[in-house]
Amino acid sequence: MTAAGRAPAVLAELRRILADLTGDAWPLRAPPDTPLLRDGIGLDSLGGALLLRSVHRRFGVDVADEDLNLDSLATIGSLAAFIAQRAGDPLPEGTAP
Amino acid sequence: MIKCVVWDLDNTLLDGVYLESPDKPPSAVPALAAVVAELAARGILHAIASRNPPEAAGHAEQATGHRFAAAACGWGAKSQAVTEIMAELELEPGAVAFVDDDPLERAEVAHAHPGVLVLAPQEVPEAAGWPQFSPPVITDEARRRGELYLARRARREEEAAFGGSREEFLRHCRTQVTIAPAGPADLPRLHELSARTRQFNSAGAALSRERLARLLAAPDRRVIAVRLRDRFGDDGLVGAAVVALPAAAPGEWSVELLMMSCRAMGRGVIEALLAWICRAARSAGAGRVSVACVVSPRNVPLRIALAATGFRAAEPAVAPAAGGGHRMATYSRRLDGSLPELPGWARGTW
Repeated sequence: MTAAGRAPAVLAELRRILADLTGDAWPLRAPPDTPLLRDGIGLDSLGGALLLRSVHRRFGVDVADEDLNLDSLATIGSLAAFIAQRAGDPLPEGTAP
Repeated sequence: MIKCVVWDLDNTLLDGVYLESPDKPPSAVPALAAVVAELAARGILHAIASRNPPEAAGHAEQATGHRFAAAACGWGAKSQAVTEIMAELELEPGAVAFVDDDPLERAEVAHAHPGVLVLAPQEVPEAAGWPQFSPPVITDEARRRGELYLARRARREEEAAFGGSREEFLRHCRTQVTIAPAGPADLPRLHELSARTRQFNSAGAALSRERLARLLAAPDRRVIAVRLRDRFGDDGLVGAAVVALPAAAPGEWSVELLMMSCRAMGRGVIEALLAWICRAARSAGAGRVSVACVVSPRNVPLRIALAATGFRAAEPAVAPAAGGGHRMATYSRRLDGSLPELPGWARGTW
């Protein structure tokens, strides 16, 4: 599947990760241009680090290693696009790779 | 270095089973209660992981005379209890010891958390003498660590009930961040921060006490200390920066070391320090600030804070020797245009 084809599934999965992390349903319907840090989803630097750890586990993409400037952390959509470009197809929850 | 010991209660820290004697719950095992007090005096935290109702934690506090930094009581797996405690106290597995009389519980925790030091109760008195339980320096901040974690618990409970933004909450707590040049008296705590901090540390390894003493005395360096307090408690010295002011490049402040205690996380300290460095550098006539930073999975929170303050990363073509084999990047930003605001609760003196 192409990165563009993968993007919607990555976005949906990323929203679920964010909802888990924040304990809030708002990320499930937040627009893709919602900032991840501070005023948007409201992650602080530790929250951002936890998010990247979950992303690494779920998609096998080590954002903190590949994106030194962490530009991908700007918005939900930018992080989803970064992941979609590098990840294989996301697996449904609970299935073995 | 062990920062926290997680204790089972029944037949471990307690001389019996809590629920079997509701009228007169068991007392603490004296030898282990003594270890709890001794390790607490060295700045090591204690926590409880017990298959008991939550009241058991209160009883253990009475029996040992110690206030535990965290307690996970319930009927889930001990490894899950350890996970919860690590999350609450922001600890890594390598900083945690787990003590349980049941070999199955020990095996379950060891399997789930290979980094955790797993001990049987009878091993504890001897283990307390091991190097990983013996911090090289014990500062005032370390001695009061348990108390400060209790202050943190109170702060978090209040935050959960507080309706406003994080910034409003920091104001509500009367947060005070004080940024000032470090002096010789700060050396032990600076050394301790250098050895203990990981998530907010730009260096790949701890600096020796001698190296820090030389930096404090060097005419071409500034060591900046950051102190934090609010109405819940005085956290003391929680962060520092070492800035090189080389004569060759007066237009640039080069930050050689940035570090902050994870206890200060989420309290506006790193933002205040980075904002203050940018503003102080510009006042001193510099046009750029750069931060040499190790690129590792452990210091992602620091790198996120740098990126959020407008720093951009560049990797050197050749790995510098100073990195000691670590992958290094230079995060820098220009000082023209608008700089990050110094929050209202932060005060800097130069």
